[in-house]
Amino acid sequence: MSRLEAKKPSLCKSEPLTTERVRTTLSVLKRIVTSCYGPSGRLKQLHNGFGGYVCTTSQSSALLSHLLVTHPILKILTASIQNHVSSFSDCGLFTAILCCNLIENVQRLGLTPTTVIRLNKHLLSLCISYLKSETCGCRIPVDFSSTQILLCLVRSILTSKPACMLTRKETEHVSALILRAFLLTIPENAEGHIILGKSLIVPLKGQRVIDSTVLPGILIEMSEVQLMRLLPIKKSTALKVALFCTTLSGDTSDTGEGTVVVSYGVSLENAVSDQLLNLGRQLISDHVDLVLCQKVIHPSLKQFLNMHRIIAIDRIGVTLMEPLTKMTGTQPIGSLGSICPNSYGSVKDVCTAKFGSKHFFHLIPNEATICSLLLCNRNDTAWDELKLTCQTALHVLQLTLKEPWALLGGGCTETHLAAYIRHKTHNDPESILKDDECTQTELQLIAEAFCSALESVVGSLEHDGGEILTDMKYGHLWSVHADSPCVANWPDLLSQCGCGLYNSQEELNWSFLRSTCRPFVPQSCFPHEAVVSASNLTLDCLTAKLSGLQVAVETANLILDLSYVIEDKN
Amino acid sequence: MLSSMAAAGSVKAALQVAEVLEAIVSCCVGPEGRQVLCTKPTGEVLLSRNGGRLLEALHLEHPIARMIVDCVSSHLKKTVDGAKTFIIFLCHLLRGLHAITDREKDPLMCENIQTHGRHWKNCSRWKFISQALLTFQTQILDGIMDQYLSRHFLSIFSSAKERTLCRSSLELLLEAYFCGRVGRNNHKFISQLMCDYFFKCMTCKSGIGVFELVDDHFVELNVGVTGLPVSDSRIIAGLVLQKDFSVYRPADGDMRMVIVTETIQPLFSTSGSEFILNSEAQFQTSQFWIMEKTKAIMKHLHSQNVKLLISSVKQPDLVSYYAGVNGISVVECLSSEEVSLIRRIIGLSPFVPPQAFSQCEIPNTALVKFCKPLILRSKRYVHLGLISTCAFIPHSIVLCGPVHGLIEQHEDALHGALKMLRQLFKDLDLNYMTQTNDQNGTSSLFIYKNSGESYQAPDPGNGSIQRPYQDTVAENKDAWKKTQTYLKVHSNLVIPDVELETYIPYSTPTLTPTDTFQTVETLTCLSLERNRLTDYYEPLLKNNSTAYSTRGNRIEISYENLQVTNITRKGSMLPVSCKLPNMGTSQSYLSSSMPAGCVLPVGGNFEILLHYYLLNYAKKCHQSEETMVSMIIANALLGIPKVLYKSKTGKYSFPHTYIRAVHALQTNQPLVSSQTGLESVMGKYQLLTSVLQCLTKILTIDMVITVKRHPQKVHNQDSEDEL
Repeated sequence: MSRLEAKKPSLCKSEPLTTERVRTTLSVLKRIVTSCYGPSGRLKQLHNGFGGYVCTTSQSSALLSHLLVTHPILKILTASIQNHVSSFSDCGLFTAILCCNLIENVQRLGLTPTTVIRLNKHLLSLCISYLKSETCGCRIPVDFSSTQILLCLVRSILTSKPACMLTRKETEHVSALILRAFLLTIPENAEGHIILGKSLIVPLKGQRVIDSTVLPGILIEMSEVQLMRLLPIKKSTALKVALFCTTLSGDTSDTGEGTVVVSYGVSLENAVSDQLLNLGRQLISDHVDLVLCQKVIHPSLKQFLNMHRIIAIDRIGVTLMEPLTKMTGTQPIGSLGSICPNSYGSVKDVCTAKFGSKHFFHLIPNEATICSLLLCNRNDTAWDELKLTCQTALHVLQLTLKEPWALLGGGCTETHLAAYIRHKTHNDPESILKDDECTQTELQLIAEAFCSALESVVGSLEHDGGEILTDMKYGHLWSVHADSPCVANWPDLLSQCGCGLYNSQEELNWSFLRSTCRPFVPQSCFPHEAVVSASNLTLDCLTAKLSGLQVAVETANLILDLSYVIEDKN
Repeated sequence: MLSSMAAAGSVKAALQVAEVLEAIVSCCVGPEGRQVLCTKPTGEVLLSRNGGRLLEALHLEHPIARMIVDCVSSHLKKTVDGAKTFIIFLCHLLRGLHAITDREKDPLMCENIQTHGRHWKNCSRWKFISQALLTFQTQILDGIMDQYLSRHFLSIFSSAKERTLCRSSLELLLEAYFCGRVGRNNHKFISQLMCDYFFKCMTCKSGIGVFELVDDHFVELNVGVTGLPVSDSRIIAGLVLQKDFSVYRPADGDMRMVIVTETIQPLFSTSGSEFILNSEAQFQTSQFWIMEKTKAIMKHLHSQNVKLLISSVKQPDLVSYYAGVNGISVVECLSSEEVSLIRRIIGLSPFVPPQAFSQCEIPNTALVKFCKPLILRSKRYVHLGLISTCAFIPHSIVLCGPVHGLIEQHEDALHGALKMLRQLFKDLDLNYMTQTNDQNGTSSLFIYKNSGESYQAPDPGNGSIQRPYQDTVAENKDAWKKTQTYLKVHSNLVIPDVELETYIPYSTPTLTPTDTFQTVETLTCLSLERNRLTDYYEPLLKNNSTAYSTRGNRIEISYENLQVTNITRKGSMLPVSCKLPNMGTSQSYLSSSMPAGCVLPVGGNFEILLHYYLLNYAKKCHQSEETMVSMIIANALLGIPKVLYKSKTGKYSFPHTYIRAVHALQTNQPLVSSQTGLESVMGKYQLLTSVLQCLTKILTIDMVITVKRHPQKVHNQDSEDEL
């Protein structure tokens, strides 16, 4: 009773978005994320001031997981971006910037939250239905029969992460590896429902990036001494594998809740080791070639197996169990007694391999969807960044397999979309407003805020003081370097649009991105050949971007809707 | 010393507190309401528009504020909805009362009474008012509800007898509910989801059993997925368990499942027993026996077509291995709630490994349509196609949202909607009684008249109306007799009996002196007391006047007095009420009944209607206090639609809507609501009574004293004794 304390009253603040503190923290966050965006984005170094791990990154997932935000509104914002990234891996910065921009732009207007939220939602559904429609002018079909577009997709992801510190040649090499690793996870004879395999990323730090490679099967890291002790197997047929998930160390298993009394002179160790040797004999008589154990194998059993030319590897760990089960087709054995013959699996071959300073035991599968991606990079932080990037790319490829479309990258989708919305709200506002109580003026205001939020995302691609333009035909993005001489004739400086689909050969009109221009219909008719011939397109993942767009608008709506913040101070 | 710690409990102080609370809740009330972000002490963030939750999250310190919050939470225990409206209505009532004192203050000032003395005078005045409020709540409100409002009621059921839920009405009801609970860009989607969910889960037309099951196991029936847009939320046929298979073997065809609550593998020793190992061979043979036994059990399960083993405990490796070998999938470590849900759906008792083996069939198995892994945002779940043996067809809700706080809000709202619907069904029993209530409400009025005006014969027109009800009275009486045989049946008592029975759902609180939230369980004793009171009408009346003048300060006594005054007032009220059935509509009104699960259109319809009829009633009132109370309540009621229509302009603004409604009522035209959606009348009614009770509670306090002791022991009622 005496320890019961009265709760401290909470802190209650009205209209949180109007306070100076929230505005400044939001703009600080916005500055952090915008400066990271794109291939020329600036890197952030995160450390705690007491030494130890330093993270150099420009990726939202690494950045936000290390940032410690305290204000509840920022918590909502960062949490929703982190949740998006953990489900789609890509487009985290895009989501964050768009969300911040939307909040900022809309606040300046001073309309009621109801109107803003309703119209934002309409505009969002307009975007989504356009991006999903057949007439969409900023997406291209992904052709899985050739690697070209897939490579473009992977390359775009790699180049947008400057903290990986890759040269052009290295980028090419790693993108090819990632694509290969992905293709290896697709089962060969897939009908109907396909289950993708897994690519395991094996770290090799301190090596050249060019040394990275992809191998089918699984690599188990071992010390050189252990590896030397393993006897080479010479066998033409596939090797029979037994995979144990239970311990083979001779521990007496769970004896129940009661007590077990052992009489004097009775040695349980002997009893158990007898049992283990019996197991060994069964394995020998079943002609097993390779024994893998998740936990520990008793040394005497190990020696016994080695004597009979069976390779025994223990302490595999739980993470490798699932890929091993999948690859070898075994059933993890949980019994020390009789083993069912159908719980054995097989591998094609085993060999030892040395990469850098590390030694591996390599299990080569017959036909399986498991592969190992040996990833090298010069130092720890760059390797971490590269690993994250590879995971993102693999995930994006998986998402693309489900939805075989890609969006034009390099900012062209955003400018195209903005042009489309401007045109739509200008020419056909009735279809958007239908049965709403909002006026056309309100729609125009919000649409302008929405479009300029989209365009400012693109604007943050440029970090070196260059100019960004958009053409008046396709609505694509074109950029001019800052150091280029001031010439009256702009088109001379423009060679290619952001995604690389169009070049300035055509008769195009340009306008500066933030200048007001009359709405136009962004054209979508690009020749199919152009897509095929353009080998150097910048592409984005459709699924991730669509979800990013939705999450950004939904989160912005959520934050704009807040009327009070109640902080519990207990 | 004392005065420094004590603060005068006054309407003004309560109003100040209520206004602060009103400012917070009024921005999240109604369809235009906005969100509030709450942080928990753990640092998690939560979005909410749930009034009860917000009031709790504030951790208020002010004693009156804490009392108000207590009243709100006890109201929420009865009806899950209406916390925000509670505060707004209370605030408007206090404002109305405060305005009256302001008006009357000037003459008091001239009298030049000491401030302290004036305070006491005020207090006694507040007590009068609180008594009048209580009288109003118990005696007048019901009559107005029954006689006037009920003709506007709609029903949620397409047929009241079979309680068939009408889909379109349910949609409207849920939409209106979610309008006040979730963000405005999601409420349509969420209410549609909920509606779909019900109609997918229900086998028969009426859903009360389903509502109960879903309410009890709501946590197990929904899965939250962060990182996806809200629009990705969906309903999945079958049950989704928030676990992964520990062993998964794809299977099809005739599939059966078993539930186990202990490990299948026999153990060396059970708790409390001792296993003595005498030799190594003994150890080996016992291990061998355990292995063989486990193998045999799993084989046996396999032979019975069991393809799925659901376990509430972790099974040893050996069991998993043999399950895998025999093509049995295993799900382990289920919570007891999950197990009980599954058992409730399929009506299956746990499987106990048999001691002696026979090839006979295992009794406790159930057929499963499918069992497969379900991947939601790269997390694996177990998806079961159970074949239900009850009215509930298993479906799970997948709730998506960008952040967990939002999903939690949606979960909370869905659960609240379930409770609200359950309430609507639970009230059904009461409502069946109110069918007679409705009719007897009038007949009881005649009785009042009889007792009040010395058994005057009713006029012929009314007598003819009265007769059919005496039939029902007789029926009711028979039922009543079984429990209360000691009731004397004579001409005067018969109808009060019925009147008691019908009024009990409403009027119980008033009959108990101190506790305002009395349950119906005290029915018998209450009715006895009531009878006694009616019988000894005259002596009590005397008692009233004496007791009141001498011992007006003590609460218990004053409540008893109140009891008596109630009865006296009844008498005086009668001439007015008796006229009512004669006002042209008597015939149609009498045949109308208050249907089960009755609802009204949203948008302040209930408040405007009640306001209108209260004003009408007040005009006919003879007693000034009653008129005043009715007027205050009537005007305070309008506060709620005023907040709802705050942002509307032009034709839809509040004055326009109000004038339209009043005009429609005066010309007997149907009311036209600008908003679609329905709300439960029962909830509104209960809200009204709760607020009035809370207000009487506030008004009876004259001083608040801070005591530096255990804070949880500070009790407002104690303060008077200590003085």
